[in-house]
Amino acid sequence: MTAVTAITIEKKRGAASNGDAVLGLILVAPIVLTMAALVFFPLVDTVWDSLHRINPMQPGTPFVGVANYTNMLSDADLGRSWINTFIYVAIAVFAETVFGILAAALINQVRVGRQWILAAVVLPWALPGVVNAVIWMWIYQPGAGLLNGILTVLGLPFDNHVWFNDRASAIVAVSVVHIWRMMPLTIVIVLAAMQSIPDHLYEAARIDGAGRLKMFTAITLPLISPAIAIAMTNGTVAAFNFFDEAWVLTGASLDTRPVLIQIYLETFQNLHFSYGMALSLVVTVVSLLVSLIYVLRVYRSTRFE
Amino acid sequence: MRRFVLSSVALAALLVAAPALADDAKPLAGKSITVLLPSPQGATIAADFEKETGIHVDLQTLSWDDIRPKLVTALIAGSAPADVTEFDWSWTGQFAAADWYVDLSSAIDADTKSDIKGSSIFTIGEKLLGVPYTNDFRVMLVNKKHFADAGITKMPTTLDELVADAKAIKAKGTVQYPIGLPLSPTEGASTSWYLLTKAFGGDLFDKDWKPLFLTPDSAGYKAMAFEAQLLKDGLVDPASTGLKDSQINDTMFAKGLTSIMISGEPGRLGQYSDPAQSPAVAGNVAAILVPTASGTTRSYGLLEALGIPKASPNQDAALAFVKWFTSKDFQIKNYANGVLPTRTSALDELNKAGKLQSGDALVEESKYVEPLFAQGTPTWYPQFSSAVNTAINGVAKGQMTVDDAMKSIADATQKAMTQ
Repeated sequence: MTAVTAITIEKKRGAASNGDAVLGLILVAPIVLTMAALVFFPLVDTVWDSLHRINPMQPGTPFVGVANYTNMLSDADLGRSWINTFIYVAIAVFAETVFGILAAALINQVRVGRQWILAAVVLPWALPGVVNAVIWMWIYQPGAGLLNGILTVLGLPFDNHVWFNDRASAIVAVSVVHIWRMMPLTIVIVLAAMQSIPDHLYEAARIDGAGRLKMFTAITLPLISPAIAIAMTNGTVAAFNFFDEAWVLTGASLDTRPVLIQIYLETFQNLHFSYGMALSLVVTVVSLLVSLIYVLRVYRSTRFE
Repeated sequence: MRRFVLSSVALAALLVAAPALADDAKPLAGKSITVLLPSPQGATIAADFEKETGIHVDLQTLSWDDIRPKLVTALIAGSAPADVTEFDWSWTGQFAAADWYVDLSSAIDADTKSDIKGSSIFTIGEKLLGVPYTNDFRVMLVNKKHFADAGITKMPTTLDELVADAKAIKAKGTVQYPIGLPLSPTEGASTSWYLLTKAFGGDLFDKDWKPLFLTPDSAGYKAMAFEAQLLKDGLVDPASTGLKDSQINDTMFAKGLTSIMISGEPGRLGQYSDPAQSPAVAGNVAAILVPTASGTTRSYGLLEALGIPKASPNQDAALAFVKWFTSKDFQIKNYANGVLPTRTSALDELNKAGKLQSGDALVEESKYVEPLFAQGTPTWYPQFSSAVNTAINGVAKGQMTVDDAMKSIADATQKAMTQ
């Protein structure tokens, strides 16, 4: 009797388990199918196409192996645009992270009207990149630009100064526009993490005699580090995909040309489609590898906690 | 009674025949096509065409720089971006090699081809890939009042006179930067350099596509050095390193902030003469022949045409639009929208009627218009142009010498030719 009951229970469990599995499969099927159709298939197709010569001006699409990848090594313009891109990534990720955390910490102190401050802060991120770039183009304008106007009023010799005629100032000027657009996202992510820290941790630290700086370094920073990693990953990917602001402000100028503009020129101007595909894949891999550094760091800290 | 019966029969016959007659007059009535052109275009184009042919037109306009990516993405995917599209002279080599456009050589009659001389720029072998609709060649646009204020009575015919006049205008204090010259990494910077190369008496390549701009005594080299010198002398705004030709036209020349557009577009004369559109310069702008080193003017054509993608499902209706848009009557009418006719007959008629702004100069300059590339636009033109404007931008910013710039253009061209 006991054995029969046990078998019955086991059968019911099995049936329930199968039912759960089927339900699980049904629930994940839409996202798996969507990802397969819109991400994995195009990705594999792009990899395959990047191993061929796809140029509408030449007949056929012969297999060329890794020629599109090896050609990158002798492309001087590409080399320069990679250097520009790495500079953008370094400046943007550093500035967005440091100033984003500081801004989030400041907003976290505000008790009244925080939502209005957040709404205002998020505005540049909500605007399209092209709109932000056009606004900043007016700010940087040599004649009637706001920036030159302010500096001139302060007695500095910046009347008719052209910010994009010098590589260093051009890169910084273009980076500022990108940081202006992307930093609000870092603020929102970090602020959400800060608000999830229990108050009693700060109360205990205060009782132990910890000051504000100590509490920030010993409690806030460690507890928001996963959020910082997410924000940095997002910032890194966005900086590698940097296009709009550089295109609107300085066009195809070699001084400020990021790798995505190089891809655009190769693909749509020169019609070297498979070379453009190979370049896109390399950008994807490099940005993922750089992002992986932050992600692995968070993963480790999460597992060890 | 008999009269009534006869009248009724006649009326019935008329009612039956009328739609058939209408169909004969408008055989494609009821069809719909899409047309993609650069902005701005006349507001009544679609309605006028539909009224005449019964074909409905969905006219889409984009800025000139945005059209090419839209065309290329659709064409590479095997679909038609529109039934009729813009077809720039500089795309001819690439688009012919890609075999994306319908051959119109048999659809366009010999008289039209003869009347529209620029058709040859869009002809590869025996194939006519586009019918030119806007006659864009280069003249020099000047603000006559600025010249008069500086005490200049005779317009320049040589480059030395041009520089002397610009210095006189600057010295008078009328404007800070008398010469409008794009130096940004955009097509406008390239086309200005091509014109100056012609003005210095040279060409870009020989018949074997060997660069003719590498030595300091070559025209191309002198043209680049000339541009650098204009900038150094304070005759060109340093901010031009970030400005397209259209921006210099709209924000400087149209506002009276600069006096000379070296590479002027004749089509803009209408805009500059209209007090509503250009209150600061209306009545003061004129076209003059392009000054050269020798004093004998030179220019080249940058025509834009209409083409029909092979993937278009409405090629017959599209062809009707191309024919209508490039007809003499419409070209004369379309001049009011700033589009200079490509038909010699239309140009002559407008000039005789006194409607062509600076008509004598335009008609005279049109006699000196050459193709930029005698062998036809090469497939690698975009890479060449990109190398040119990037080099000009580098020289203007002081990051490259003229010598390095010329070598970088030649290297990039060589690389593009071998790809």
